[in-house]
Amino acid sequence: MTPPSPARRTVLGIAPQQRSDAWAGLKAIAPLMPGSVLFGMAFGALIRVAGIDPWVGSYASVSVVAGASQIAIVEAVRSNAPAVIAVLTALVINARFALYSAALAPVFASFPRRWKLGLAHLMTDQAAVISLEHADRYPDPVRRRWFIVGGALPFVIVWVMGSVAGIVLGPVIPDAWQIGFIVPLMFLAVLVPGLHDAPGVVAVAVSTLVVVLAKDLPWGLNVLAGALAGIAVGSFVPSRSRDDASGTAASDGRVPDDGLAHDAGAGE
Amino acid sequence: MSTLTTFLVFTAAAIGTYLIRISGIVIFGRERYIPPRVEKALHLVGPAAMAAIVANSLLLDEGAWRGFGAWHLAALVAVGVALWRRSSGVTMAAGAVAFAALLLSGL
Repeated sequence: MTPPSPARRTVLGIAPQQRSDAWAGLKAIAPLMPGSVLFGMAFGALIRVAGIDPWVGSYASVSVVAGASQIAIVEAVRSNAPAVIAVLTALVINARFALYSAALAPVFASFPRRWKLGLAHLMTDQAAVISLEHADRYPDPVRRRWFIVGGALPFVIVWVMGSVAGIVLGPVIPDAWQIGFIVPLMFLAVLVPGLHDAPGVVAVAVSTLVVVLAKDLPWGLNVLAGALAGIAVGSFVPSRSRDDASGTAASDGRVPDDGLAHDAGAGE
Repeated sequence: MSTLTTFLVFTAAAIGTYLIRISGIVIFGRERYIPPRVEKALHLVGPAAMAAIVANSLLLDEGAWRGFGAWHLAALVAVGVALWRRSSGVTMAAGAVAFAALLLSGL
């Protein structure tokens, strides 16, 4: 990648360097986009099946931007649960975003306030994890925020487009396809390639164990319990030097000169 | 539930979810020094949260054990490919192909 040159043109006030960083973000998250579209279509189809107003369904995907909690709300609406229970269930499911938010605080620390406020809304599981994994490669806050918005915004856009398509088309995906498999597959595809060190492996093992052991907790609280237990136990495991597997360039503070090529593989 | 109530439920969930999403960024945003222990714990947020989601959606089905079958086998294929190639895209493709093949073979 060439250093930014003031002589090059800007388009819509976006300089070439920013465009290229945003493109790198898009390429990092692109492998997960088909999953987002299919998950959106599944949510949209559910909106139709539940007889919820199509506009309200589309609004949900734009405003909440968290598929699992949106599905929980629809299920609550279908079963005539009290509105308060529907909202609380969704918020418990989304409590994990507080963990991402804390983890992202140092990544976002040097961003202007409006960027922090805007990017926060776009932090899906996938965008948060991609941002956390790639932040070290972008020590420059301007380049970093363009990398993050380049992945996070398109990911939310295809999620909304998938939702609208599902609402318009209805349940076109046959039940026999068991489209729900996209959820564990999508998260395995982000999680496993980036798993290198002992604390991470222990966190994953403990989290998995607690989720299944606590499966009878109400309102899907087992997911939150598993995540918290994994973080707590994993943080006691000693880690070796972090820069063994992913190359030294990322950890000594320099931006690699082939950032685009690096991100093409994604998930590392 | 009426359309208005459903709209209000989604709105309340949206506001609450946004406050959750901004919480850590606001609370920890001004601290210049983050203790190493806390920093290490923050590094584990992604893996632990994703493992929890995978376990809940793969091993369980609506809170009960999922019967062993295509889901588990295709996930094993995906994990194997992920460890081998270290790529999200290849993992997604391999897992989807394996799952489709298993479903077609009647599992």
